Amino acid sequence: MKLRMGAAVLVVALLPLVLQTPYWRGILVLCAMNVLLALSLNLVLGYAGQLNLGQSAFFAIGAYVSALLVKNAGWNFWLAAAAAVAAAGALGLVLAAFAARLRGHYLAIASLGFAVITYQVLVNWESVTEGVRGIYGILPPPGFGSQLALFYLVAGIAVVVYAVLDNLVRSPVGDTLRAIREDEVSAASLGIGAAKWKAFAFGVGAAIAGLAGCFYPGFVGTLVPDAFNFVESFSMLAMVVVGGMGTMAGPVAGAILLTFLPELLRGVGEVRLIVYGLALTLAVLFLPGGIVQAWTALRRAR
Amino acid sequence: MSVLLQAQGLSKRFGGVRAVRGISLAVQEHSVLALIGPNGAGKSTLLNLLSGVHQPDSGLLEFDGRDLVGMPAHRRVRLGVARTFQKIRLFRQLTVLENVVAGFHLRHALAPWQYVIHGAAFRRDAARCRSEAMELLSFVGLAARAGERAGALSYGQQRLLEIARSMATRPRLFMLDEPAAGLNGAEVEFLLRRLEDIARRGVTLLVVEHNMDLVMNVAQRVYVMQYGEQLFEGTPREVQANPRVIEAYLGGEFA
Repeated sequence: MKLRMGAAVLVVALLPLVLQTPYWRGILVLCAMNVLLALSLNLVLGYAGQLNLGQSAFFAIGAYVSALLVKNAGWNFWLAAAAAVAAAGALGLVLAAFAARLRGHYLAIASLGFAVITYQVLVNWESVTEGVRGIYGILPPPGFGSQLALFYLVAGIAVVVYAVLDNLVRSPVGDTLRAIREDEVSAASLGIGAAKWKAFAFGVGAAIAGLAGCFYPGFVGTLVPDAFNFVESFSMLAMVVVGGMGTMAGPVAGAILLTFLPELLRGVGEVRLIVYGLALTLAVLFLPGGIVQAWTALRRAR
Repeated sequence: MSVLLQAQGLSKRFGGVRAVRGISLAVQEHSVLALIGPNGAGKSTLLNLLSGVHQPDSGLLEFDGRDLVGMPAHRRVRLGVARTFQKIRLFRQLTVLENVVAGFHLRHALAPWQYVIHGAAFRRDAARCRSEAMELLSFVGLAARAGERAGALSYGQQRLLEIARSMATRPRLFMLDEPAAGLNGAEVEFLLRRLEDIARRGVTLLVVEHNMDLVMNVAQRVYVMQYGEQLFEGTPREVQANPRVIEAYLGGEFA
């Protein structure tokens, strides 16, 4: 385990030396953010088993709260980021209140509605968010102005978040979340209060998505609601499912694959969503355990 | 002996169906009570009321002097109320061992940060859970299957795994909903031995069961339900001799 983690850190450290153009380094930053987002959704979807399609909302809250606090209130970036993460986490608890009552498709619809409402608020609350005109001239976190530095920052955070979540799911908390995923009534018969633990998963998942969101505005330089359309929830869903939900390595693999694949096919036009949709469909039909399942099967075959 | 569980006038209706009507019952501590009755008599509904899966429409319910009405199922476990299900509800995708380990939910002694940073205390806790879980699996004869998916076990083994999983919560009152259903003769015999062992450990048992051999062997008292109501309560011998019970089970012509 320690060896694999070390190898992963080494790959992360060396990647920018291979990909040196600004374009590819930009993709690397995006990839690190996507890894964070996939990890955040996986805790809720893969471990707690809650079909949550509202994750884009928390990404948005992280981005807007941090950017606005820096730009309008003059906060220090890290203080603003902490507030944004807290805000996203708190909003996660709001969605968890729905999840306490809704299951399966009903939760999916409610959480999707949550993402749509958040998007509409961003579009229409112009006095604060500037609506579709957007916010311009947003600076990266102080000291992380180059894409290389920003990549190391976000990737470093992703590695830490991965390590924390990995320990968490291998602890009794992981047992508890998986029990809820498998059968709530049965879990209750063992003393597991599902509502509380779903709130935990939603809250932590939302906070991590919010954390990813903090770095987005400074990376792009501008902030418009369209970056947080509810479709982004499906992008995250595709990464988690294609990679293998309910595993730690899966969402990372899914995020990397689905960040780079559309870039490699860029000559074919705006293919990103087509790639995501196709990958998601193929995974659900032929490989429900995702890349991790394929990897395990290959290793067994050898 | 003291009364561990006391119900008075418990009622529950689902739409127009009055599944449980004014049931009163007392379970003595360290005893084994069997709950029997024809299909549809309301036994499972009563068990759901006692365990907290459903809340009663009316009536009183106390466990060791504490009011249970309105208390959700997962809180009752903390007091020492455990149960199995008529329709087996294992965590099918998890391993046999993981199923039992999940039963330790309330018994971990860890500070919150230890869930994230695994130190010596974490490893001690994990090792203790694992060894206790393996003991419970040995107890029900499933230690050799610990690493397999629970869904891969045979029907009878799944029933036994549910028992091991519930025992991990260290219950004072253990309620089993038709534990012998779908088991063959040898398996019923093994189940009977295990239930006797559990009772000997001081756990109070409430067993919903159709298998009369098992009921007559394990129970000190038998509570008979019909149409959601109490039909009779007595010792196994009294129940066997009671014409109303015989009529309920076999129909009027045999009485």
